[in-house]
Amino acid sequence: MHKRRKILALGAAGASAMMVLTACAGGGGEETEGEREVTWVINSLPAAWASISSAGGSVYTIQTLSGVLPYTGQWQPDGTYEYNMDVLAEEPTLINDDLDEGPFQYSFTLADDAVWSDGEPMTGEDIRVSVMMSASPDSGYCTTCDSRGGTTADMVEEMEVDGKTITFTLKEGLADAEWMSQVDAHSTGGGFYPAHLAEENGWDVDDPDQLGEFFTWLHETRPEWSGGPYMITDGDLENQVVKEPNPEWWGEEPQLDRIIMPFNTDESTFVNAINNGEIDGANPAQYSEDVMQELEGLPQVSLSVGEGNIWEHVDLNTENEWLEDVELRRAIFTAIDRDDIANRNFGAGYPEYELKNNHVFGSDSPYFTDVITDSGQGSGDADAAIEILEDAGYELDGDTLMLDGEQVGPLRLRATDTQTRSTSLQLIQAHLAEIGIQAEIEVIDDLGGVLSEQDYDIVQFGWSGTPYFTTAPEQYWHSDSGSNFGKLSNEEIDELVEAVGSSASQEEAAEFANEAAALVVEEAYVLPILAEPNYFFVNDRVANIEDNLQSSYRATYNIGEWALAE
Amino acid sequence: MLVYTVRRVLGAIPVLLLASVLTFVLIDVSGDPLSDLRMQQPPPDPSVIELQEERLYLDRSMPERYWLWMTGIGGNGDIGLLQGEFGPSTQSATYDIGENIADRLGVTLRLVTAAMVFALGLAVLSGVISAMRQYSKLDYTLTFVGFLALAMPTFWFAGIMQQAGVGFNELVGAQIFATIGDGTYQAQGLDAWGRFTNALAYMTLPTIVLMLTSFAAWSRYQRTSMLEVLNSDYVRLARAKGLPNRVVIRRHALRTALIPLTTVVAVGMAGIIDGTVLTERVFQWRGLGEFFIAAVEANDSFALMAWLMLSGTAVIVANLIADLLYGVLDPRIRFE
Repeated sequence: MHKRRKILALGAAGASAMMVLTACAGGGGEETEGEREVTWVINSLPAAWASISSAGGSVYTIQTLSGVLPYTGQWQPDGTYEYNMDVLAEEPTLINDDLDEGPFQYSFTLADDAVWSDGEPMTGEDIRVSVMMSASPDSGYCTTCDSRGGTTADMVEEMEVDGKTITFTLKEGLADAEWMSQVDAHSTGGGFYPAHLAEENGWDVDDPDQLGEFFTWLHETRPEWSGGPYMITDGDLENQVVKEPNPEWWGEEPQLDRIIMPFNTDESTFVNAINNGEIDGANPAQYSEDVMQELEGLPQVSLSVGEGNIWEHVDLNTENEWLEDVELRRAIFTAIDRDDIANRNFGAGYPEYELKNNHVFGSDSPYFTDVITDSGQGSGDADAAIEILEDAGYELDGDTLMLDGEQVGPLRLRATDTQTRSTSLQLIQAHLAEIGIQAEIEVIDDLGGVLSEQDYDIVQFGWSGTPYFTTAPEQYWHSDSGSNFGKLSNEEIDELVEAVGSSASQEEAAEFANEAAALVVEEAYVLPILAEPNYFFVNDRVANIEDNLQSSYRATYNIGEWALAE
Repeated sequence: MLVYTVRRVLGAIPVLLLASVLTFVLIDVSGDPLSDLRMQQPPPDPSVIELQEERLYLDRSMPERYWLWMTGIGGNGDIGLLQGEFGPSTQSATYDIGENIADRLGVTLRLVTAAMVFALGLAVLSGVISAMRQYSKLDYTLTFVGFLALAMPTFWFAGIMQQAGVGFNELVGAQIFATIGDGTYQAQGLDAWGRFTNALAYMTLPTIVLMLTSFAAWSRYQRTSMLEVLNSDYVRLARAKGLPNRVVIRRHALRTALIPLTTVVAVGMAGIIDGTVLTERVFQWRGLGEFFIAAVEANDSFALMAWLMLSGTAVIVANLIADLLYGVLDPRIRFE
């Protein structure tokens, strides 16, 4: 009897505690009544508070600074480019693109009412200082700025500031078909930074040492400044940031009172978190079929999948004793069945996948031409592959490919250990077996090391592509490029990719890029497979939100327009 | 005891030194800290890579780097364990490894301490009950629960707990349990009661996960140890003297039976810092586990070495504490 009373008392105490908790707990996670609040996940931790440096230059830093960093323009989800007419007074001006008449020149003029959150006007000086910090250390502007690279910034000979206007003059003989990218959303810094804060803190930006100090300060100090619709009011680089409307914002008024951006590195937590009302959505960096399937089952959630900017490709080492023969390379690429690879990896979650038929341009680009399909490469046509080999003097001895009585291979087939690539390698191994080539799969721990040391025969990895294309071909294929890992050497390609980089117009550059890509196919050097899909999900209570796979900002590209659904 | 302690501490120095050499060499040869930078698009200017090599001391030979890492002599003031500097990080030029470890140690300890206290209490209780009711239905049930907890993969169990938490919230129509984060930010501006309930909301699920995974092994130790003691002559004598069962168990059997568990728990406490990696990942706590994962992902050699050294030091210190506690708990043991 005594025991039972004790148990009952314990039960009653537990129930009361639970009732009290029910009434009180979780207060922090819920928004105050009447406040319009959205919680948007950033899929990893940003390394710094600015994205100019090599360490800070990640999509996560860019997304953390969304709505804070001003920029001059951005690629839209539909592949068109839009200038940011909140920040600019007029569309930027191309002053001269005829190198016979003088150096390449262009200018930007900022809007009269464009101000930083402390009321200081935005000027050409902000752009000048941002470009100086984005240029590589050899440019001499800054001693310690470890910029993540500024091909566009490095071309600049002179920057002339006149109040709200800045005029760029490029070095002699250089042209830049993508000049509008100088401080747009896709630039090294993801936009431009407030130069007046350097002076306020006592640094002279024209002193390379002091500019370095300003650079460090920007990267290590949580921005209390903003040049966009929101400003960061709380947060750190490990847990989350909180954004509230910038009172000095001169554009259309933001529709939310608060945006909380927690950093969450584990996609498997998303489903429970959105079900529990802890998050409103995310644009994860990785494709995850399991998570997508679970999200699809949630009635209050919208999910979209599209082609991401990482494109997978298979590269051959042209200095391998067997692979230096272009006919063997062509046969290998012909035997590989790209559709099989794409379908096995993404067919279930993203049946609309498209094979990539141009190394430089996506199929939605106005410059796209299909350079792959007609070549037969990637078709998985083993008979055609064998025909190529037999014409080149190879012969099949049972299941083994032979040349002059010697077995061809075995070849080392390598990739990093991801589920997608593991599946892909197993399929490629089977495809090559059909033409008598034995391939041995080896997993890569250190991709950069393996590629730079050419420690492979066949390798699969990904490049990230953007709508800007003029620097990529030279990086991929020029015989002097450190990223031409398989050591393709073709003078004609070298000339074409140099021409891409020095063209004054995008149309002309695109023409050269397509010609170079066609030659790369003839050389059977790189076989593009497909752009890996990315997904995005959002609670339906949030309106005016969509993924932008053309931009590192992803769904936060229009953060100023986010609102709560009626 | 003081002499013994000093001798043990001095004895730990060569062990730590050897551990530091092994740690350094293994991590140093495991990959290029700048591989991500080299793969960047568009490619960084060679001067950027040179700058990073210089900053991370990759322009020095391996023995020189080890010397720098230990002493800091010849460095830029950001390296040298003996000077309290853990070295530069690949994660950012402004990333202070020492400061981060200190911050994250606090987060991990918050999680671990609560989990350990509950795990220990539960382990002792269930171990003693199992031993006292050996081969009863209760014993079999507790044994089954123990083995089940031991067998469950942490990441899976954590996911299940999250789902259970969400289910419970839906049932009561309020957000009692949170599934991600440690709640630090959510506690801002709350009064004492609010902070308490907020802590409960964020800590309950990860604490249960960590508690159950530790409790399982410990309860088995406790049961075995208790059984051994219950069958010993002096317990039988105590019973024969007519002492009440409660007194026999509490004063005579339990005290002795706790001694082996002390060692296991002390070493386990050190090991659990490593063991929180998965729990912290799933519940998104920015503790030492997440620090370790971030360091691996960023090829951050000095951060990894710092973590491993901390982990190694914790094991050595825990062993020392266990040995000393042994002497305190068991009067038959004398330190010489």
